[in-house]
Amino acid sequence: MSSGAELIKGIWNENPVFRIALGFCPVLAVSTSIKNGIGMGIAATFVLLCSNIMISMIRKGVPSKIRIPVYIVVIAAFVTIADMVMHAYQPQLHRNLGIFVPLIVVNCIILGRAEAFASKHGVWHSIMDAIGMGIGFTCALIAIGTIRELLGDGKLLGFPLLGNSYEPVILLILAPGGFITMGLMLGGLNLIDARRKRKAGK
Amino acid sequence: MGYVIRLALILMFVGGVSAGGLALLNARTAPIITEYKRLEQEQARLDVMPEAEFGVFVLKDTSSSLPYYEAYADSDLAQLLGYVFGASGNGYSSTVETVVGVDISWNIIGIKVISQQETPGLGTKAVEIRYGEKDSWFQRQFAGKSARSVMVDKEGGEIVSITGATITSRAISDAIRINANLLRERVTKKNLTGTVS
Repeated sequence: MSSGAELIKGIWNENPVFRIALGFCPVLAVSTSIKNGIGMGIAATFVLLCSNIMISMIRKGVPSKIRIPVYIVVIAAFVTIADMVMHAYQPQLHRNLGIFVPLIVVNCIILGRAEAFASKHGVWHSIMDAIGMGIGFTCALIAIGTIRELLGDGKLLGFPLLGNSYEPVILLILAPGGFITMGLMLGGLNLIDARRKRKAGK
Repeated sequence: MGYVIRLALILMFVGGVSAGGLALLNARTAPIITEYKRLEQEQARLDVMPEAEFGVFVLKDTSSSLPYYEAYADSDLAQLLGYVFGASGNGYSSTVETVVGVDISWNIIGIKVISQQETPGLGTKAVEIRYGEKDSWFQRQFAGKSARSVMVDKEGGEIVSITGATITSRAISDAIRINANLLRERVTKKNLTGTVS
């Protein structure tokens, strides 16, 4: 595949959330508003990029039997680096993104890409894969966040869009609402894909 | 056997390099982070006690579990404005830490939640700043209330709790009330012994 295709695939065809179905924990936790979604998306993309680069560089020196612990050490190190550097040099950003950083450790997309992609491909393609997957992850968070923030809080990006007379559906902000929204979106996207395939088949 | 040892050595090497790198980075960033936290706390003290802008804060009772600051209008410590203390309570999913400023008759001047990890979208509304506003609507309502009797509306108090986050609202107001009463007792006792001797 060309490097452009590696970049594009993460956004739709292999979207980490809606297609590969990875990273549900952080998605459910922080998709309550668009702002949170963007924050988590940026933080996760940064760590994904660093870990993909590192792992594709060391992939030939790591024996396959201990590859998973090595990947986890690399990812945990980058998460800690991101946390410390941000806290020290960008305190304002850390105040907003700080709560997402520890959540990246449980983001299986990062380990998933290390195992499925970076350990088998060169550095350049791994960078493209990381950026594409990061964008795909961020888009998914924004999409779910838009629905949950608009209906659950009556706002978009903190701006009160639906006015005071709108009674927010608090369920959507809570965890069950996250599951419902994500389930419906997964189903909807599968439906679109199935229709497309049927058309192509005809 | 030799293979297992080789694997262990590689793993040890990776772990060692990561740990060493992190230690180096930590040595560089830790002092900056500590300094930032100190500045942040200083700012929080001023936020809840704006009148002390040109005055001083004197730290008291550092050895006790509840140290507090006396706020003075000038550096000559003549005019006592009030007290600044911390109040932390167990919220829904985290410890909610608040800094409280009260005047000498224990009425709240201002409060500021400095640390919380509550449910995004619910408990975090305690620090939410509404569109077009400058400060948090939830924290603003504490100003002017008596710190010794502040309570959420569900318990008959005057603080309108956050929809869907009564536990967070209660954690904040309960912590303030409890600590204010504790401190007041201590401060009054001190003043009494002061007049006797």
